[in-house]
Amino acid sequence: MKNHTYYPTYNVMDEQKEWDSHTRSIVTSRLQREHSHRFLTPVEAETLRVWCALLMDDHRGDIIQAILTHIDQTLAENKGEGQRKVNVPPLQKLLRQGLKAIDEAGWIADSRPFFQLDEAAQKQIMRQISDASYPLTEAWEGIPQKALFHKLLQLSVEAYYSHPLVWSEIGFGGPAYPRGYVRADPGQLDPWEAVRKP
Amino acid sequence: MKWRHEHDAVDIVIVGAGAAGGVLAKELSEAGLSVVVLDAGPWRDPQKDFASDELSMRSLAWEDTRIVDGTEPFGMGSHHSGRGIGGGTQNFTGVFLRFHESDFKTKSIDGVGEDWPIHYKDLEPYYSRIEKEIAVSGPKHFPWGNFNGPYPYPERDPLSPNAYLFQKGCEALGIQSAVTPLAILSAPFEGRPPCTNRGFCIEGCMPNAKFSTLIVHIPKAVQAGAEILPNCMVTQIEVDTQGHVNGVLFVNQGTTYRQRAKTVILCAHVVETPRLLLHSATPQFPDGLANSSGWVGRSIMTHSSNDVYAKFEQEVRLYKGTPVLASTQDFYETDPHRGFARGYTIHSHGSRPIDMAQGISKASHEPVWGPQLRQIMLDYNYYGRLTMVGEVLPQWDNHISLSAEKDENGMPRASVTFNYGDNDLKLIDHAVENMKLILKAAGGEVAYVVSDTQHLMGGCRMGNNPATSVVNSYGQSHDIPNLFICDASLFVTSSGGNPTNTVMALAARTADYIIELASS
Ligand SMILES: Cc1cc2nc3c(=O)[nH]c(=O)nc-3n(C[C@H](O)[C@H](O)[C@H](O)COP(=O)(O)OP(=O)(O)OC[C@H]3O[C@@H](n4cnc5c(N)ncnc54)[C@H](O)[C@@H]3O)c2cc1C
Ligand code: SF4
Repeated sequence: MKNHTYYPTYNVMDEQKEWDSHTRSIVTSRLQREHSHRFLTPVEAETLRVWCALLMDDHRGDIIQAILTHIDQTLAENKGEGQRKVNVPPLQKLLRQGLKAIDEAGWIADSRPFFQLDEAAQKQIMRQISDASYPLTEAWEGIPQKALFHKLLQLSVEAYYSHPLVWSEIGFGGPAYPRGYVRADPGQLDPWEAVRKP
Repeated sequence: MKWRHEHDAVDIVIVGAGAAGGVLAKELSEAGLSVVVLDAGPWRDPQKDFASDELSMRSLAWEDTRIVDGTEPFGMGSHHSGRGIGGGTQNFTGVFLRFHESDFKTKSIDGVGEDWPIHYKDLEPYYSRIEKEIAVSGPKHFPWGNFNGPYPYPERDPLSPNAYLFQKGCEALGIQSAVTPLAILSAPFEGRPPCTNRGFCIEGCMPNAKFSTLIVHIPKAVQAGAEILPNCMVTQIEVDTQGHVNGVLFVNQGTTYRQRAKTVILCAHVVETPRLLLHSATPQFPDGLANSSGWVGRSIMTHSSNDVYAKFEQEVRLYKGTPVLASTQDFYETDPHRGFARGYTIHSHGSRPIDMAQGISKASHEPVWGPQLRQIMLDYNYYGRLTMVGEVLPQWDNHISLSAEKDENGMPRASVTFNYGDNDLKLIDHAVENMKLILKAAGGEVAYVVSDTQHLMGGCRMGNNPATSVVNSYGQSHDIPNLFICDASLFVTSSGGNPTNTVMALAARTADYIIELASS
């Protein structure tokens, strides 16, 4: 399916001078391409690059790199997880060992790392992991497949839908301090909001 | 670390500077008592430390790992509790409702849950005081419960596109709706401006239009002489040989300190308060402090908070406006025809992109991802959303305990076990059906139902009987008279409405009681 946006010319960043400086610095930092990872190994990063691109159905390098940066930061900072289900290992372990098991799935399927498989094979493995039906090997010991899948989905979603390019595409008005919104009836727009193009 | 009361035994030490702790700190210090407030998190400046950004502002939440168990484990973290001076009021949505009279007597009226040791009438003056103190905005006439308005400040105007659609749907079905009472200004007050409808309440309000303990009660407490210590995680309550508490231990940057006090008040919220009590066990109190009944950590409750999304022909734009601006409580009281006890509130509820994508990704029993998720989110602006606040009945088995895993301070992590009961599930089904009907009546096509929870209550419930409750109605521990607990953990039942007005009213009532004790 060809993805379409209703707002092909809208760029939320055009409005950045209207934002407070703290918000602006947070958002603009997402546009900087960062390469050096603190936690992820090169193979882990490549595995994630295809995995997250398929999860979000988007292969634009900059955006996917922003997801990787977010995942790497989360793992390196190792702050609390909010909650963790009993019997799920701590995040660093879940991802480190989980990504190893995903990589191994590539070798088992086609004697190649997961990130080099063709897309159909990758998606097939992802679907199996998402419903915990991928055949267990030693690498999966202690790694619940569903929990791994959900964690990667959660991390990808939060990074992806924080990216200003994606905001522009979905027509999200973006940061709104100090100006806020005035026009509130359905169909009414403040001047800086995205306008649908026919 | 150096602080003013380092060497003193102060009158009062308060653990937790959230909704309840802030009220107590202000009232007690204004009454002339010496007060130290310790909070585990930072002291933020809204204009510098908040941002209009969903992802980065997750840092307002209590992010420490909690171990969850049960068939319906809570999503803890950002949905359930705050951290830092202001606690959950930094990142709450500002919906400010009173409980109804029936909420305090569910056992007598409906034969479910348990009765509170107080009546609505006991809290009424405190509700009024708090609402006036923070200038709650709301309708001239509020159709439900014991208080029908008018509110101190006028209702919000304009609302949001999503709220107008909700009102339209309700009207078509003959359901009453009203503009939601909010702890958000509709006009200037005490140097603070009215709301600008930017929609980022859960990320912390930058203009200070939304009430928070951080910007209201804490500055007033400081003015009255209270000492506030941020980044101080309390790890232990200390007990003397007579079995009275005499202070707390807390950790700041890896070092442990002691604050001595004549009275200790725990306001650390529903998970951390029981955790602290259980962890502070001594040979004299081997099952934890205040726990001779065995009720510490028991009967925790949440609100069922399922969301229903519907797609509209025209744009809705869920990002605009305060998230909640219109509500109905037509289904709040028990109706025997429905086949379950108690009820719920329905709110029109805005959403920013992460919130919606995260919800939709778990809307069905299989995760939604790839092209499907992307397509839905490309239509982000065409979705409207409603959410419920559903009463969850107390059950002994839903509880906080200490897990085997330790945190960086060597304190066992909290373990949170929760399952819905039958009544809870029937109530959710009913509410979801109604939300679907309202969205349809507004012209939407119902698309996704996301199950979720919000708000935490219970765990140290109040009662007159020391064998079946932890504290009396003033939050005073049955076992240890100079140990008070005063936060949402006191709740006996959860009600079908947002809880913070009640948390603060209870705290104001407890403050009066402590002041009276101190002066007698
Ligand atoms: C996203 C969100 C939206 C919400 N929306 C609404 C709403 O619209 N309406 C409503 O009525 N309610 C809402 N709530 C709920 C509301 O935030 C809580 O009901 C309220 O904050 C509870 O008050 P409390 O005093 O019990 O705890 P809190 O306000 O959570 O305060 C507890 C404080 O204790 C501190 N603490 C914890 N443990 C320790 C320790 N060991 N040592 C030192 N300090 C400690 C924490 O850092 C925190 O500051 C919302 C909550 C969230 C998270
Ligand atoms: S919508 Fe209003 S109350 Fe909420 S954050 Fe924005 S200005 Fe503050």
